[in-house]
Formats: sequence, C-alpha cells, structure tokens
Amino acid sequence: MRSRGFLLRLAVKNLTRYGRRTVITALAIAAGVGIYIAMDSAIAGFAGESDRLYAGYETGDVAVTAPGYWEERQRFPLDRLVADPQAVIDTLRADGLSATPRTAFSGELVVRYDPFPEDGSLQAMFYGIDMDRDADVFGLLGSIEQGRAPDAGEDGLLIGRSLADRLGAEVGFPVTVTTRTRDGFHQLMDLEITGIFQTPNPVINRRAMYMPIGLVDTVLEMQGAVTHVHTVLPGNLPADADYRRVERLLADVDGVEVLSFEVMNQEMAEIMEIEDNALQIILFLLGIIAVVGISNTMLMAVLEREREIGMMRAVGVRNSEIRRMFFYEAGAIGLAGSVVGIALGSVLVWLLVNIGLDYGFLLDGVDMDFRWDGVLVGVWNVPTMGYAAVGASLVAGLASMVPVRRILKKTVTATLRDDH
Amino acid sequence: MITAQGVHKHYVDGETEVHALRGVDLTIDAGEFISIAGPSGSGKSTLLNLIGCLDSADEGEISINGTKVAGQKVAALVELRRQNIGFVFQSFNLIPVLTAYENVAMALSLLGTPDAEIRERVMSLLRDVGLEGMEHRRPSRLSGGQQQRVAVARALIKDPAIVLADEPTANLDSETGEQLLKLMKDMNRSRGTTFVFSTHDQMVMDYADRLCRLHDGEITHDERRSA
Ligand SMILES: Nc1ncnc2c1ncn2[C@@H]1O[C@H](COP(=O)(O)OP(=O)(O)OP(=O)(O)O)[C@@H](O)[C@H]1O
Ligand SMILES: [Mg+2]
Repeated sequence: MRSRGFLLRLAVKNLTRYGRRTVITALAIAAGVGIYIAMDSAIAGFAGESDRLYAGYETGDVAVTAPGYWEERQRFPLDRLVADPQAVIDTLRADGLSATPRTAFSGELVVRYDPFPEDGSLQAMFYGIDMDRDADVFGLLGSIEQGRAPDAGEDGLLIGRSLADRLGAEVGFPVTVTTRTRDGFHQLMDLEITGIFQTPNPVINRRAMYMPIGLVDTVLEMQGAVTHVHTVLPGNLPADADYRRVERLLADVDGVEVLSFEVMNQEMAEIMEIEDNALQIILFLLGIIAVVGISNTMLMAVLEREREIGMMRAVGVRNSEIRRMFFYEAGAIGLAGSVVGIALGSVLVWLLVNIGLDYGFLLDGVDMDFRWDGVLVGVWNVPTMGYAAVGASLVAGLASMVPVRRILKKTVTATLRDDH
Repeated sequence: MITAQGVHKHYVDGETEVHALRGVDLTIDAGEFISIAGPSGSGKSTLLNLIGCLDSADEGEISINGTKVAGQKVAALVELRRQNIGFVFQSFNLIPVLTAYENVAMALSLLGTPDAEIRERVMSLLRDVGLEGMEHRRPSRLSGGQQQRVAVARALIKDPAIVLADEPTANLDSETGEQLLKLMKDMNRSRGTTFVFSTHDQMVMDYADRLCRLHDGEITHDERRSA
C-alpha cells in the first residue's frame, strides 16, 4: 500500500521534531542492547571455556568406565573397573582415535616438617596416568611449569601450582600418600615431587595429583584394571555424535559404559542454566526500561501533537494509520538505538574476545567448582545481535501503542477544540 | 445534496447543559458558496462538525448526497471524510515537518494515487492557489495567509464534494482574509466545489452567495444573493 510509504516518511520526519528527547531515548535503548550483547557474549564465552577446560583436563570428549561408575564417582570406587582397558584402547585406536587410561582414587597426602615448612595432611584426588599417552588426550603433561613428569617406572608425583604454594612444596620434596587397595587394605606410597603443573583449569591445580599408572596398578593391586579410558575426538567441542560413534565402536566390549560429555558435564550445564536465567531477567529489566522510556517519549510526542492528530483524523486518516505512524516512529527510535547498541556491544565483545576480562583477583582464594581461571573470554554471537535489534525495535514500536490509544479514545472534535 | 432536518445537539459540561443546536433545518445544494454567520457560542462549529461527520446529532437527520449520517459505522464516516469532505481550520493545522507540497499531497498519498499523478495535481493546484515557488517551504517559513492557502489546497486536492471551513479567516488580518475568500470563491467557481464556511466577520459574510444567520442554535435568517 502506498499510504505505508507516506506514513513511514512522515514518521521519520516527525522524529526530527524532538531531537534531544529522541537521542536520549535511543541512547538508553543503545545502552540496553549493548549491555545485553556483551553479557550474552561473556556468558557464552564462559560456558564454552568451562566446557573446553573440563574436557581438556578432566573428562576428555568421551569416557569409558565400568557400568554404574559415574553415579558412584564421588567416593572413587575401586570395585567398578574397566577390567581390560587395552581392549578398549585398541578398539578406539583401530578407528583412529587417541585414547588413554586413567585410574582415579582418593587418598591422603602427608607432608612433614623439613623440607616442608610444617607437618600436615590433606584429602585429595589422585590419578594414575599413562606417561606416554596421556598427552594425546589431556593438556596436563604440557602444562608442567617446573621440574618434569615422572618416568613410567618412577615413584614420582605431579602436583598443581596452587596446591604446591599452599603446602610450600618444591620440586624434589618427598611426600607420602596413604590410600586403600582395590580390596580395601591400607597402603602407603613414598613419592618424590618431580614436577609442578599450572593448567588453565583451577580445579585440578588446587585438588589433583598425578603419578605413573604402573605404580598405581602395583600399589593398589589393580591387576591391569583401570577406572577410566578417555578419548578425544576431532572437532572443537564434544557433541552427541561423538558419543554415539564411540558407543558403536565399543558395542562388543563387555563390562563397559560409554559416558558422553553431556552426561559428565550435567552439573556445569545446570549452573549455566542459572546464568541463562539471570540473562533472561536482565533482558526483562532492559525491556521494561525500553517500554517505559519509549512510552514516555511517545506520550509527550502524542500530547504535543494532539491537534495535529485531530486534524488528520478529521480529514479521514484512519486510526490504524495513526497507530502505524507512531509505531514506525517509536520503532525507528528503537532501531536507531539498536544500531548504536550493536556498535557498542561489538566494541565490548571485541574487547572480551581479544583481551578478555581478567577478574582473577576476585577469585583469589575462592574455591569454586567453576572451571575457569579468572580471564573471561567472550564469543561473537551475531544472531543475538540481530534478535536484540529486532526485539528492541518491536518492543519500542509496541510501547508507543499505549499513549496513542489514549489519544484515539478521544473524539475528533474534542482533540480539535480550543479552536473556539 | 446536504440536508439537515430538525437537528438538535446539546452538550453536558459538568452540571451545565448547553443546547448548542435547537432544531436546525438547512438544505445546501451542490456548488453553493454559503456562510454560516453568528456570534460566538451560537453553534456554528457544532453545525459544521455535524455536517463534516465529525460528530453526531442528538435528534434530527443529516444526510450527505442522500446518505444518512446517523446509523453509519465510524469507519464508514472516516472513509466518507477521506474521499468527499475537505476541511479548512481556523488555525491552519498544517503538519509542521512537511513542506507545502507534502501537506497537500498527503490526502492523495493516503488514497493511493500514483506518485506521478500526485505530482502533477499538487503542483498545478499550488499554482492555482498562488503558491508557485513555495512548494518546498515548511509551514514555519510561510505567512499565515500562505499557510491557509496550503490548507485550502489540501482540502481541495482530492476533489471533494464539500469543503467545510470553520472561521478560516479568524487568524488572518482583514486584507489577507479577503484574499483568501477570493481564492475560495475562485475555486468554488472554477471547480464547482461546495464551500460552507462560518464567520462572525461582516466582510467575510459579504463574500457569500448565501448567508445563514445562526442565533442560539437556531437559523434566524437565510438569504440568497445573486453573485
Ligand atoms: N464539547 C463541548 N462540550 C460542552 N459544551 C460545548 C462543547 N462544544 C461546544 N459547546 C458549547 O456549545 C455552544 C455552541 O458552541 P460552538 O462551538 O458551536 O459555537 P460557535 O458558534 O462555533 O462559537 P465560536 O464563534 O466561539 O467558535 C457554546 O455554548 C459552547 O460553549
Ligand atoms: Mg466555533
């Protein structure tokens, strides 16, 4: 319809009437859109980073355990084991996948005065790892900052930087680890710290220690069994298809359960859902601000133009056309605000992506399950920008309907009066 | 073509009730140039609003080209005004952000007339009302008389059956007002458009072909003069 073009032109011209007010309202919307885009980027970046660190240092893309292990994992059970890890590894290898075994167990680390600053002990998680293959799947062995990894047959231990600092440990210090064997008997290991690692995953820096899997096999009397076989798959982040591929490969291997990253990442995903809800609430608040700001601006515009609107109605402009004109007017403010907001958001996202937000100082000494080391790196999310712009424009347009309704409820003669 | 029969209209304003029209009978033929005259408060605007389908009578009947106004849907009345009735207001009421050209073109744009035709008709009408060369000025850069000429052009551009003008010269000095009346009369003659205008100014009444005097909501005098 031709009249639409006319109404659109008129709406745009009308915007020039209240320059300051229009600019201020648009800037408020711009701020909202910009903040939303930046927050979305940060949260997505946080989620992505958290997933990468979890997969890259703890779970791999897919893990193979004995059935029921996962539910019991908190107590580090040694009665649910992959009895023949080599069969699993060989099967995966035959299909071109890297795989490495790990045995997780809990124990107590005991340190004594001299060379340590004082006597002490702490509960911790320990992992026996394959010194030759672990790096095919995990980033740990590439993160040794000081010293070296123990040789396969050596009574050596790798500990994280955070833990080392807490204990006052140095490379070469002797420690004792007490634990129980597979059958529940007490065992003692005298080890030497051969290296200190610093990974981007703060959870393992604080809580995990690593030693050769051969040593663990002997001391815990594992008879070749392990708790996990981890594998890594091509592609950026583990997906459902990866899991199904591994599951298909291992369909014939008895006594194993294949754990997808999705299952292992469940708790983290739940935390992210809370973050997502927080984003929704912020979105809602920003929406309310936009609605209030726009309806206020449009209310002033409508009241100032009461006679003009009366004139238009008198000469036969339909109410729907008046509404449309104001919808365009407010929508244009929303759109202008969105464009500026996208620019603002892009600058913020660029900073998040390229520089990151270092809030490590906030986390000092805070022990959380979040796997990120205090530098938040954003991601680009172009659809979000599009949605934000369309959403803000629509909300703005719709918000103008409230004040317009108010004026259209009056009779034409009432809006034209004061002619007398 | 416009008939009013026994038209009553009253307003309730708080506690007071104002009987603005008390039984008006009036027939206006196509092509007339008629003035509704009367003192302030006599009911001129009320009558023009009823004829212009902006309001409805409490009693009596108004019909335009044989169509009764009473009982029509609001939307139908809007369409009637859109196509067939032009308005000229006392305070010009142009859209300040539009140029003279755009203010006049508005009515045709809304009717969906092709751009080329709009251009031709608007330019020629603006020339006829004496605004050649001022097409692209906004109202703020036009004098009161020029603004009212734009308003007359805006009312005429869609070739309506009737143009209603409520005290069109009240905001103009007498010389400018006289020029505007000449213009309206020219347009009435050349286009055959019916003009109904209200006034309490003797000079304006003198221009009318027919003069109806309204007093306290009643027509007290109806006189045709040969032009
Ligand atoms: N909406 C209204 N509510 C209440 N009273 C009204 C309303 N409109 C008009 N009136 C009253 O009706 C009477 C007639 O008013 P109207 O405006 O028709 O007179 P008029 O002849 O146009 O006067 P003027 O020369 O001042 O424009 C007046 O007493 C006026 O106060
Ligand atoms: Mg009046």
